[in-house]
Amino acid sequence: MRWFWIDRYSEFVVGQRGVAVKVCAFGQPPLDENPNSLGALPGPLIIEGIAQTCGLVVASSSQFRERVVLAKITKAVFHDFAWPGDTLVYTTDVVDMQDEGAICRGVSHCGGKLQAEVDLMLAFLGKRLEQPLFEHSQFCRWLRTLGVFDCGRHPDGSPLQVPDYLLAAEYAEAGIGTTQEPRA
Amino acid sequence: MRFSLIDRIVELEPGVRVSAIKALALSEGYLEDHFPKFPVMPGVLMLEALVQAASWLILKSEDFSHSVVTLREARNVKFAEFVRPGEVLAITVEVMKHDATTTMLKAQGVVNGKVAVSARLLLERCNLADRLPNREVWDATTRAKIRKRFELIYQPSRPNLG
Amino acid sequence: MAPTKDEVFAKVQTALVEALGVDDDDVVPAATMVGDLGAESIDFLDIVFRLEKSFGIEIPRSELFPEDILTNADYVKDGRVTPGGLEVLKKRMSFADLSKFEANPMVQDFGNLLTVSDLCRYIESKLGTLS
Repeated sequence: MRWFWIDRYSEFVVGQRGVAVKVCAFGQPPLDENPNSLGALPGPLIIEGIAQTCGLVVASSSQFRERVVLAKITKAVFHDFAWPGDTLVYTTDVVDMQDEGAICRGVSHCGGKLQAEVDLMLAFLGKRLEQPLFEHSQFCRWLRTLGVFDCGRHPDGSPLQVPDYLLAAEYAEAGIGTTQEPRA
Repeated sequence: MRFSLIDRIVELEPGVRVSAIKALALSEGYLEDHFPKFPVMPGVLMLEALVQAASWLILKSEDFSHSVVTLREARNVKFAEFVRPGEVLAITVEVMKHDATTTMLKAQGVVNGKVAVSARLLLERCNLADRLPNREVWDATTRAKIRKRFELIYQPSRPNLG
Repeated sequence: MAPTKDEVFAKVQTALVEALGVDDDDVVPAATMVGDLGAESIDFLDIVFRLEKSFGIEIPRSELFPEDILTNADYVKDGRVTPGGLEVLKKRMSFADLSKFEANPMVQDFGNLLTVSDLCRYIESKLGTLS
């Protein structure tokens, strides 16, 4: 089982808002545990999808340098099952952001109907733990696949660019140099 | 059953409480992504482990007469400690309220003597035929499989690793 | 019109019940945030945000959590707050009852000091209604 619980962003505003979809596919864990389980996407994995949707939006405020983890789920309410073949749309807003973390609110819709509501809090690991979580190049590839740099923009409307340090890591990992000057 | 997070039920008092354990192995696939340089159990899987332990308590308390137990609400779920590979999450769940279709429970998971996760849960139970057509056979066969699975993981007399 | 003491308490109670998942009955004036209500550091972010919204005020973190004083070498010696440090603390947190803390001012105990009543008095001081 991989740990990617959203498939693509349709909206990404740095530090403010993220909208992404999760397609529930039969062959994908844990929906592939047929015939031994209910076959619906478990609620906690919907919470994770919503957390990933807003977590990357929050992290983008610091050019993805801040390591963001789920610290608290204030409330999660599930209205209906999510079955294979369903597409869930996660709409998340950053309600507040401080030095220690952020408060976010997210909803999941399926076929236009409200499927789940999640209020959560993200914490910045900061000095509590110096350990890096990802290789920069891996992390950047994930962001690209999710369409963060396709639809991402700053609140002023300007497009979200790939941060230089991530770009440099991608080139280094591929073993190719770049003749481009880093952006100022 | 890769998504079955409860390794062992240590103690169960129907209608009252359950104790169970989840041991974290480095080979669990999702740890490759969470996180590549710092493998730790994702918070939502700690929550899922609490939900599964609670589900077993409800299923056994109702003598496996339901094929589905599902999370309707989770409140005040706090993550206080990381669970790392090689560690054991010792789970305890207690019933707070129980009615015809739902159960409210409080649950916590302890690792190395510290509370790693705590939550208030509302779980709903049903048979799928209550919701969808032509599910009677699915319900009957699922209830039988659930009962067999319980027999596999209910090990009150083994030494407790948690 | 400025809220009354009871109105302040009711709003604080609501914020704590929602943020901490405790019952209304648990939120009594003498209850400590950390010891009695189980508040952890992540909860304080939630509580502060709810109170800011509820009362329309800004709550700078250092006013409720004087980490700058408690980590200042001039004010702390061997894990105890010095008399000078206590003076500064009392001025910053004039809304709080620090008498118990003063008796044995160990820095590690400070976190468990804050009570619901202290929080209400803090709000009242921000609203200018503290008697």
